[in-house]
Amino acid sequence: MFRLMGAALILGGAAWFGFQASRGLGRRVEAVSEMAEGLLLLEQELELEAPALEVLLTRLIPRSRGPAQAMFRGCLEALDRLEEERFAQVWRRFAEGQVALGREGQECLIPLGESLGRCSCGEQRQAVKRCRVRLEEVLRRAEEDQRRFGRVYQALGLSGGAFLVILLL
Amino acid sequence: MEREVQAYRQAVRVLPQRLRREALTLTAAEQGEAEELRLRVGRPLTVVLAGEERVLGVGAVQPGELDQLVELASRASLHAVLEQVRQGYLTVEGGHRVGLCGSAALREGKLHSFRQISSASIRVARQVRGVADSVLGKLCREGQLESTLILAPPGAGKTTLLRDIIRKVSQGEDCAAKRVSLADERGEVAALWGGVPQLDVGSRTDVMEGCSKAQGLMLLLRAMNPQVLAADEITAPEDIEAFVMAAGCGAVLLATAHGAGREDLTRRGLYRTVLEEGLFRKLVLIRRRGRERYYVIEELS
Repeated sequence: MFRLMGAALILGGAAWFGFQASRGLGRRVEAVSEMAEGLLLLEQELELEAPALEVLLTRLIPRSRGPAQAMFRGCLEALDRLEEERFAQVWRRFAEGQVALGREGQECLIPLGESLGRCSCGEQRQAVKRCRVRLEEVLRRAEEDQRRFGRVYQALGLSGGAFLVILLL
Repeated sequence: MEREVQAYRQAVRVLPQRLRREALTLTAAEQGEAEELRLRVGRPLTVVLAGEERVLGVGAVQPGELDQLVELASRASLHAVLEQVRQGYLTVEGGHRVGLCGSAALREGKLHSFRQISSASIRVARQVRGVADSVLGKLCREGQLESTLILAPPGAGKTTLLRDIIRKVSQGEDCAAKRVSLADERGEVAALWGGVPQLDVGSRTDVMEGCSKAQGLMLLLRAMNPQVLAADEITAPEDIEAFVMAAGCGAVLLATAHGAGREDLTRRGLYRTVLEEGLFRKLVLIRRRGRERYYVIEELS
């Protein structure tokens, strides 16, 4: 009885690791996709007029999701503390905090802080577009990884667990 | 005095931390009297008190501190105030004005932005309420304001008087309340910030800023149905054309112009048109007696 329970635990544990790894890939896809959507909204707002960042971020927060929303909210709050931290540094800090985007995704975002609010509206729109396009490439690669490795991780978890059970039994 | 001190403390909020600390070393009385703060790269912070510039800071102003000043003044939104920056200034909360100069970056022959900012000034905005108290009654006939031109040399207080007349007319103080439309090209009269006038121009006043006076006046005339149409500093024939059109629509006109006396109106071609068209009924001349200002009111037509 105990052997059977132990075997089930090992199998379940290994499978859980496999599924978690697969879900991690899915979460990354979701996070990059939400961030790209947020940047598209930012681009569209800049297309319409040249609102101050405070207005822009306030408009974007309720319309964005996930990491984009968190980032916009954090940056909006930081506008009241600009004497302590420049906006480009704030943006960089929040971009580096977006672990779900992966290193590639973070690297796409970081340079945008140097343009936001500092250039003409057209130049900012171009910078946001460049960032979004790069992020969409990251998204395509993340989706490809998910498709290729998602099932592999799940299968590896299950088969690894089964192998351990056989070995230990 | 408390209000003046508050205005100063609000104005210095746009300074980076180190410079702000230096600016706040002034006594409360000095803060209440400070007119301007001046920042020059490589030189210490200075303050203008009673017309005299006094060194305030210890360390020299760094180029990065001027960049930070612009970021703080624009709340990290330079793009939203770029048109103002191209004119060399920025209006901040409270109506205080940050003036900028340095190396210009030109595009198609026009100032696009600054490659490097070398100097900045922060002019503390202080509204002088009540300057029109002794004037407004004489500008009205049966309680109704008549078209008025304020004529004085630069620095005499034309804009201050115009603002107070607008406020009183808009509020209906000492005359019948009127709907006032103000073409405030450089934001010196109302100082819009976030859509809200930072200087009191009354509750019935609509403000158009950021475009030429002529454009602003025409737009206000079409869109806001003004009873009184006001603008600071008539400088171009287009301004007068807009005023002629407004007068034809029955609006009462309020404006200022540079000039020492009535003879300037007849001597300068631009102002001659004002007289010929009979745009204004009253003329207010600002005179100084020592530090005191007094107002001379004359009939124009």
